[in-house]
Amino acid sequence: MPKTRSLLSTLRLGFTLAEARFRIRNAGSYLGIFWYLLEPLVFFIIIILIQGNLGIKPIENYQAYVLLGLIMVNFFVNAMTGAIRSIRDNRYLVKSINLDLEALPLSVVIQFCFSHFFEFLLFIIFILYYHSFSWTIIFYPLIFIVFAIFMIGLAFIAASLGAFIEDFDNIWIVFSRVLWLATPIFYALTPGTFLYKINLFNPLYYLINIGRQIVIYDSFPGFTPILTTLVLSFATFGLGRGIFARSKKKFIEFL
Amino acid sequence: MTETIKRIEVRSVSKNFKIRRGSRALLNLFFSGDRKPNILKALHDINLEVLGGEVLGIIGKNGSGKSTLLRIIGGLLQSDSGTAVASGKTLYLNGFSQGTDPLLTLRQNIFLVGSIMGLRRNEIRGKIDAIIDFAGLREFLDVEVFKLSSGMITRLDFSIRFHFMQHTNPNILLLDEVLSAAGDIEFQSKSTRMIENLLRGGAAVILVSHDLELIRKYSNRVIWLDKGMIKEQGKADEIISKYKNIHT
Repeated sequence: MPKTRSLLSTLRLGFTLAEARFRIRNAGSYLGIFWYLLEPLVFFIIIILIQGNLGIKPIENYQAYVLLGLIMVNFFVNAMTGAIRSIRDNRYLVKSINLDLEALPLSVVIQFCFSHFFEFLLFIIFILYYHSFSWTIIFYPLIFIVFAIFMIGLAFIAASLGAFIEDFDNIWIVFSRVLWLATPIFYALTPGTFLYKINLFNPLYYLINIGRQIVIYDSFPGFTPILTTLVLSFATFGLGRGIFARSKKKFIEFL
Repeated sequence: MTETIKRIEVRSVSKNFKIRRGSRALLNLFFSGDRKPNILKALHDINLEVLGGEVLGIIGKNGSGKSTLLRIIGGLLQSDSGTAVASGKTLYLNGFSQGTDPLLTLRQNIFLVGSIMGLRRNEIRGKIDAIIDFAGLREFLDVEVFKLSSGMITRLDFSIRFHFMQHTNPNILLLDEVLSAAGDIEFQSKSTRMIENLLRGGAAVILVSHDLELIRKYSNRVIWLDKGMIKEQGKADEIISKYKNIHT
């Protein structure tokens, strides 16, 4: 029972911190939500415009394929970047009151869940306009919950590394660029190629594939991809929580 | 109103910090020639007890280990050896303005700080009127904090934290440079009354401050820390006089 109470209070604090940051980024206006949508929209327009020059083999419902890939990767990259900075950016808070430190990386993931919600609304408007609406889209929230659980686990690990290593965010920025290009956002993978083999170790690849199958291609992924994704997400969550719990008592000495 | 319940018990606590030259950048960690960090002895063999209702003052120069000791008791930091047990609901606070964000409104900041201090939304909602009236800032409730004067912000910070501290009703209060009557004369007298009510509410309190008059006024006992060790301890008047003789 005390563990449940503690989890609830961490979640509550995570939501409040996320809400505060969301308001600050939106500059107190609903129009501020536009800033969350701007980045994926600009990238989407650029990719569509240069598509002919990239030599990409044709993909069915290409626009929807690209936009969904973009918003899912956007969630991942933004949440990781925020999580890495979550302890260092709140160093004065960490030193000045005994609060649930788990709430700091958690609040970053929640904040980008809010923004993903608006990006997904944009996506729905888009597919309503260009593409027939598929009933299987109702399963997307389930996929996203699994994605968010995976992300929370990674955020705990990222926050710990970011607290101990001052320039970890610089390393992440370079890595995230590589990940962005290596993940099939605007192209499809050909089995047997080097990139395909690399992506077999890329959790984002599985999550985006499942998302696309359900939302765009009206089909359900097989049992194995779903089981793999579930195991991976919960294992990452458990590992992240364990690492964070062990390292958090040392944070204050490095800030 | 001192109880006989031992709320804080510190036994043989020591703490060293490893001080490395340069930053903790990744390349520095791997390629820096400076592998041996300097060791700073922050605390050495500290023993103390505080009963419920008792106020213990801790004085000492900067770097004497006061904040480190409070953080260990508050569970923010681990000691290298010894034990620090705080039995009961514990609230550790250092400084005042941590948590408030100048870009948020007063109302939003009240919710933010309340959540950080562990209150539920409905508990926070129930405190808004008292906080805002105490600070005398009702007409600014939905105004962003950066638009207020520094005096108004001080009043707001004081009011938020003290109302939430009272509401939390902790058994143990660890206050590191938190207590000072803020704002203009009228507000100072209100805030002094609030401080006194809080300190006489029955919690075991450890007060850390450079304000010796404040320590003298509220503490039953005083510990003087010097280079991480207890140099003297005893009645407030006696220890503060000795401390003043050396440092003035």
